[in-house]
Amino acid sequence: MCRVSKGLSLATSSGRSERRVRHFHDNRWGSERRQRRNMDDDQSAEETAFVVDEVSSIVKESLEAVIGRNPYEHKRVNQWTSSVVEQCLGQIITCIIMQKNGAGLQSASSCFWDNTTDGSCTVRWENKHLYCIVSVFGLAI
Amino acid sequence: MEEYHSGDECIEGIIGGVDYSQNKVNQWTASIVEHTLTQLVKQGKPFKYIVNCAVMQKSGAGLHTANSCYWDTTTDGSCTVRWENRTMYCVVSVFAVAIAL
Repeated sequence: MCRVSKGLSLATSSGRSERRVRHFHDNRWGSERRQRRNMDDDQSAEETAFVVDEVSSIVKESLEAVIGRNPYEHKRVNQWTSSVVEQCLGQIITCIIMQKNGAGLQSASSCFWDNTTDGSCTVRWENKHLYCIVSVFGLAI
Repeated sequence: MEEYHSGDECIEGIIGGVDYSQNKVNQWTASIVEHTLTQLVKQGKPFKYIVNCAVMQKSGAGLHTANSCYWDTTTDGSCTVRWENRTMYCVVSVFAVAIAL
């Protein structure tokens, strides 16, 4: 079992500067998770390639499709977050939507899991009116 | 729930009486998730944990968070703690997934 910590920050109150802090760790997540269940072979590193790109693109597509260029609307935000998480097939998905108002937002996560089989991916997206952070955590069964 | 108390105490201990500071918020969120995770692991239960923390400055902006989980509802679960003081909001989510032994 290993610990992995990541941090991500957005626009701060002192200006428009944006800083992203990430601590990379050697975690792997098998996209062939379903196939692996049928395989009797042991889980070698080559099978569990980290596919953060695939997950990122799925998340970005769903954000574009659900929110697109819409401005922040308090009544619709609930539907948006539900739609985004439903479209991303995975294990645990968290979604944060924040209106662009000059406020600072900092998000961090820490995980206690098996570094060889589990992994995560965080996507930061924005349009003219709002920020959106989607984190996908994949845990092997 | 025990996770609720772990999370609440950790937040209070780290950012209890301070104002939002852009320089320090990075350390705060990292400390909160690390301490919460340590407390949970100390309980010695057979779970994998994910702890997520978001700190937002109070400035009138709207914030919405949501999460969706694909797991075994009989053995896995989550807990979200929402905390605030005069200058900031803090939301901590803990997800626990049982390990098949």
